[in-house]
Amino acid sequence: MHDPSRRLPGERLFSVLMVAASLFLFHTATGISGFAGLAEPGSFPIFVTGVMAITSVVIALRTFRLPHSLEHGWRAIFPGFVILTAILMGFYALALKPVGFLPTSFLFLTLSTWAMMRCALWRAAGFAALSLILVYVVFRLVFSVLMPEGLVPEREILAYIAALFSGGGK
Amino acid sequence: MDFAHFFMSWIDPQLLGLVGLGTFAGIYIGAIPGLSVTMAVSILISFTFGWEMYDALALMIGIYMGGVYGGSRTAILLNIPGAPSAIATALDGYPLAKKGLAGEAIGLSTTMSALGGLVGIAVLGLAAPAVSEFAIRFQPRDYLLLAVLGILLVGSLSGESLIKGVFAGALGLTIGCVGLDPLTAEERFTFGHVELWGGISFVAVMIGLFGVSEALMQLQHIDTPAVKQKISRVIPSWRAVVKFLPLSLQSSAIGVIIGALPGTGGDIAALMAYDHAKRVTRNPKVPFGKGAQEGLVAPETANNAAVGGAFIPMLTLGIPGDSVTAIIIGAMFIHGLNPGPMLMIERPEMFWFILGALVLAVGFMLLFGLTGIRLFVKVVELPRAMLFPLILLLSIIGAFAVNNSLTDVYWMLGFGVLGYFMKLYGYQLGPVILGVILSRLIDDNWRRAIISERESLGGLMHGILTSPLSLTLFLAVLAILFTSTPLWPMLKTRLHRRRPGKDEA
Amino acid sequence: MKLKLFGAVSVAALVIAGAALAEYPEKEIQGIIQWGAGGSTDAVMRAVTPHAEDILGGKVVMQNMTGGVGAIATKYTMIQPADGYTVLMGAENPMLYKVMGLGKFDYNSDFEPVALLARGVPILVARPDAPYNSFRELVDYMAAHPDEVKFGSTGPGGLPSVVTAMLSAEVDLPATFVPYDGDGPALTALQGGAIDVMPAVLGAALEGIKGGRMKVLTLVDATPNAAIPDVAPITEDFPGYGKYLPWGPFFGVFVKAGTPEEVVTKLSNAYLEGAKAPDFVELLDNRAYLPLNLTGDAAKEYMAKWQSVTSWLVQDAGIAKTSPEEFGIPRP
Repeated sequence: MHDPSRRLPGERLFSVLMVAASLFLFHTATGISGFAGLAEPGSFPIFVTGVMAITSVVIALRTFRLPHSLEHGWRAIFPGFVILTAILMGFYALALKPVGFLPTSFLFLTLSTWAMMRCALWRAAGFAALSLILVYVVFRLVFSVLMPEGLVPEREILAYIAALFSGGGK
Repeated sequence: MDFAHFFMSWIDPQLLGLVGLGTFAGIYIGAIPGLSVTMAVSILISFTFGWEMYDALALMIGIYMGGVYGGSRTAILLNIPGAPSAIATALDGYPLAKKGLAGEAIGLSTTMSALGGLVGIAVLGLAAPAVSEFAIRFQPRDYLLLAVLGILLVGSLSGESLIKGVFAGALGLTIGCVGLDPLTAEERFTFGHVELWGGISFVAVMIGLFGVSEALMQLQHIDTPAVKQKISRVIPSWRAVVKFLPLSLQSSAIGVIIGALPGTGGDIAALMAYDHAKRVTRNPKVPFGKGAQEGLVAPETANNAAVGGAFIPMLTLGIPGDSVTAIIIGAMFIHGLNPGPMLMIERPEMFWFILGALVLAVGFMLLFGLTGIRLFVKVVELPRAMLFPLILLLSIIGAFAVNNSLTDVYWMLGFGVLGYFMKLYGYQLGPVILGVILSRLIDDNWRRAIISERESLGGLMHGILTSPLSLTLFLAVLAILFTSTPLWPMLKTRLHRRRPGKDEA
Repeated sequence: MKLKLFGAVSVAALVIAGAALAEYPEKEIQGIIQWGAGGSTDAVMRAVTPHAEDILGGKVVMQNMTGGVGAIATKYTMIQPADGYTVLMGAENPMLYKVMGLGKFDYNSDFEPVALLARGVPILVARPDAPYNSFRELVDYMAAHPDEVKFGSTGPGGLPSVVTAMLSAEVDLPATFVPYDGDGPALTALQGGAIDVMPAVLGAALEGIKGGRMKVLTLVDATPNAAIPDVAPITEDFPGYGKYLPWGPFFGVFVKAGTPEEVVTKLSNAYLEGAKAPDFVELLDNRAYLPLNLTGDAAKEYMAKWQSVTSWLVQDAGIAKTSPEEFGIPRP
């Protein structure tokens, strides 16, 4: 979909950002062990960030010479859903630790499904709960991945359920 | 009779069931971007602690074989490789699915994975001692040359703009440097944060670049209906298999050797095989990157052949061929075995048992791989609005699960957004991941090679030119440098300066 | 299932209210393994924990948290509540963080030892066709051919670097040091002829030695070892090393300092008892680890001595970032 002979909105800014990032990384790399020798911990980083710096400058110069793309506006590049999802993901990342995995994921799934499917909220919530249960069983119970618990005392609940079962078994 | 153990897992119903179960689970573990074989096998160590050793091994072998293959599923259907070894598979697999040929693509990849798997096992069974002697003879300079050979793949992964590919590759190499330097414990790009000491997890980068950014990309077209998949022909014809036989044997050879080398695994093998296919296929029916079957055959045979390859140094010398065999070695210790050069002498039956279970796992892989296709391709026909929130969620857990670290989740999301912009502006993401995979291999071995020669470049060149192995690799590097990069065309235009040449790379 | 889960949430509130009275452990314990899956710390911990679980009557969910020479896992455990529900399963490395500049914490000042399970024995191995068969011959060979021997090494603070520091404290070692990222890859390189000599833990090299892929030059310990009975300890030729020995990497289970005493005692009993299980003893034996089975003050004393010997060795070798003096670590 990308046409190399036209410049998309934001492409200039992106190429400048890449130059800035490359130069910053190159500067950092020279600070690791200086130019002391060929086999220093900093030698390879200096070389690769140097390549980044040179190529990013060339890319930026070429980008600036390209004519504007007429077909694509900002809307085509950042449709509402992409922005919405990015914002939701940002909130997710921030809330994950304090609030915990289960409530955050439930909200995230419900809201994004609801917005994208344009269906009733309860259906989105149902779908979210169903997927979350599947994910929880596979990751938490089978693979023992302990996601941040946050507000829900998962380990106590699991111990309680386990106690119920073992009590019932005997 | 030690050889009789070859059939042990075939006859014993419990072992048979465990290999089958493992392979089945492995396919799904491999297919889900957040679950990895390494993770599954390390959890199995505790899980199978009280089991008989044969039972535990049967399950692990099934998961390993199934998981390496399973990564191709999501690569083909969603353009999201489920495992690092399936990165190359997505390049031509996904374009096939976009044409409605997902069923055919999966059928072909299944058959070829099985073929590659069998070649790998055959080499393990027939020539393990010789191959492992060859593999451990690789010196730091040989690893360096091999890694350089690998990084030259940037040339064939760059798409429309080579210079953007080189930038992306250098970015990947830089990402690979982050953290405490493994050789000197010097901090590199850590900016004083302890969280960065361990480096940026490779899997987090992969999930971000291929999972999240792809999901965001596809959200652009959320309302376009999914491509209807034709599933009439699933099992490839004999003629197709015969046609791809030479290529698949070559790719298998690449897979076995790269798999047998300690420190390199199926991911590098698959990418190198893809590049090889691109070079040897003179006139593909469909161009590479647009759905060439050769581009699917090569990585899929190579990564499954690498499984047999990885067992070679493990069973003959106790040296792991990749991260999964490293964990299996740990499991064998816990079960009272001592993997090492004496294993083949003291417990030869283990060798035959593992070999038999591997063959059986390939059989199950074919069975489950070819029967579940109809169900699997339905995944692509699901509404995107249902699929993508779930993929994003799986990406987050997957990034977390690698090292139980929230920092990895933030990196994954960051790389997801960066990847979105890079794709948007015509940068390919393949070179980034290639750089991350190869960074340590190049850096460590460059320093080892040059330190071994007491910091003399002349000494290093002398070493390269006098060792037959290094010389071969060096010539291969030169050959690829001239044939696959614009260096040669550039030289040619220099020579014929009169004619106006295009300077656009 | 969903309803059950929500129902359970309200039940959980009751459970928490009664938690003060409940007996430890009343939920899953999180076990943080400092090193990666398949490594020696991982293998030891995954082998002993099921036995400890049986005695404890609870479940320990083990997770690998790697990176920063174990510092990331150690720091993680330090920010969890001191309630005994997060245990750190680690190796000796944190005892060197202070002098290596990796952190201002160690096991003795910030943790409570649950159990020190085992220690490894360092040895010096060489490729089988090397022209020297003992440490004495190696020293002579190096003197005659300075910088010619390729000596495998790892990052400063790792076991090989400490053994090298110890060896060079008494004799001159003019060699070319080729860095590797762990003793596993280095031992592989040794078998391929990329390096000539490598300090390693006996357990990691044992199978290679038995198979004739490498030979032992010396046993860096004060007493002979049953796994390699015909190798004399280094003190026989060089009694000067006696003051550092016995020395070796160790594995242990720890909880954050400030954890209630009865919880620590309960965990200690479980792990020490679990370590007696025949299959665990056999695993240690196979890998040539010597059981320690220390807890409480005995464990602290052992670690303090270890820290003092090692910190001053790396300080005198010039690879320490900060002098042990700054942290009040006494010279042995």
